[in-house]
Amino acid sequence: MSDALQAFVDAREIWEVPLAASVVAGALLGALGVYVVLRRTVFVSAALTQLSTLGLVGTLLVEERFHIETEHASEQLAVAIAVSAVGALLLGAFRPRRLPAEATVGATWVVASALVVLGVSRLVHAAHDLQGLVFGNAVAVPASDLAVIAVVAALATAVHAAFGKELAFTSFDPETAQALGMRVRLWDVVLFLTIGVAIPPAARALGALPVFAFLTLPAAGALMLRVGFRPAFALAASFGVLAASAGYVLSWLWEIPTGATMVALAAALAVPGAMWRLARG
Amino acid sequence: MKEPLVAIEDAAIGYGRTALLSGISVAVLPGDFLAMVGPNGGGKTTLLRTLLGAQPLVRGRLVRPRALRVGYVPQREHVDSIWPFTVGEVVLMGRVPMLGVLRSAREADREVVRRALARVGMEDLGDRWYGELSGGQRQRTLIARALAAEPELLALDEPTNGMDPGAELATMDLLRDLQAGSPLAVVMVSHRIEAVANYARTFAFLDKDAALFRVGDVAEMLRPDALAALYRRPVEVREENGRRYVHAAGGEGRR
Repeated sequence: MSDALQAFVDAREIWEVPLAASVVAGALLGALGVYVVLRRTVFVSAALTQLSTLGLVGTLLVEERFHIETEHASEQLAVAIAVSAVGALLLGAFRPRRLPAEATVGATWVVASALVVLGVSRLVHAAHDLQGLVFGNAVAVPASDLAVIAVVAALATAVHAAFGKELAFTSFDPETAQALGMRVRLWDVVLFLTIGVAIPPAARALGALPVFAFLTLPAAGALMLRVGFRPAFALAASFGVLAASAGYVLSWLWEIPTGATMVALAAALAVPGAMWRLARG
Repeated sequence: MKEPLVAIEDAAIGYGRTALLSGISVAVLPGDFLAMVGPNGGGKTTLLRTLLGAQPLVRGRLVRPRALRVGYVPQREHVDSIWPFTVGEVVLMGRVPMLGVLRSAREADREVVRRALARVGMEDLGDRWYGELSGGQRQRTLIARALAAEPELLALDEPTNGMDPGAELATMDLLRDLQAGSPLAVVMVSHRIEAVANYARTFAFLDKDAALFRVGDVAEMLRPDALAALYRRPVEVREENGRRYVHAAGGEGRR
């Protein structure tokens, strides 16, 4: 065993929680990404990620400005989840008839992004956290964050297992589902909530950029292989796990940025599907 | 007099509080074939969705004397073909509303799907990817999905849109065959009266821009005056070998 690998194994106490959080987040986001990609709502995940980051920045601002102690990780996470969930509710339920849905999503993303920049510019002590918020800080994930990610993953899995046929039908053909009396808006809200609640804890562990990547690349890679709807969830989750775990280990061994390594691996895992599709014409 | 399956009485249709078209009264009886005809953007789909209860009325009354099993066929361009569903999976979705939450499909549901596929002549294509089918096969798949709901009312939105004449005729013949000897009611939206002239028994002409809504049977509606009101130019109807041909009169043709 090489020295670097031995050092990695010896440092197990440092990485076991962050690695576990990355793996669970990779699986969860990879699977949810199947809906994100098929519904052509990739930008929704970007908007929700930005809203989640805005929630985190908001808690830091409150702490600094009003001297209220909110720096505890779980409180920041609770606010981020709340902001993201509200965003998911609004994006899921609100469909302006005279504007394309992309306009609402785009406006949400750009306004949230601007507010994050403005918020960070007003931070005095916590501005250095921005790097971690955007690109992740997977070497320092508390056990409480891992617990939150695991609970969210279990809940999302339960929701999708219980209501899979409703979510699939209303997403695939909302017009027909509504004509047959199904409550399409309600199911949209349920779906977006599972995504909106999953993003903040994952973003705290991985960072906004890897979260966005995990919601698109593993699912795109799986779907391009044409394995079918249900198997696509399992395959995308597997791609997510592989990219998260291998990305974490390689970034440690090669001393390169963790989030970016995960994104690069997720992209690499999408290549076989793209090649296969190209070969098939 | 049969009781209507569904009816709209003295209604205005539209979005929110904005009425697109007023003074609408129309009923669908068991076994009827109602064609809603008018120009694109004339309010046909809005009327269809309102009739199905998917769109609220601006004014008036929606009458549905009892619970109704509905099958719906959207415009096939509205169904995204990137979803990796097989034909069988798409057709099975027709059973979802009646299954209820927390219940998965059983063997009886799969048997209904097999029968629905057989009725549209696609019994051997259940395992094919929906996205890899031809336009006509996709249309048949969507009709099979509507049939999987075991409907009393089959509603179709522009099912022959973009089809070549042969495929259009095949689709219309299929609808006729589905109705043969059955109380199934069909409501079909089409911007082409030629597509439905030989199949519908009742016609509703509507055009929100001309504030036009008129409903009646074949004898009443396939007359030059009624058609001229819809198309705002002279229209002729002629019959050859038992088939009606509707075409705009005049025009200079190629010079």
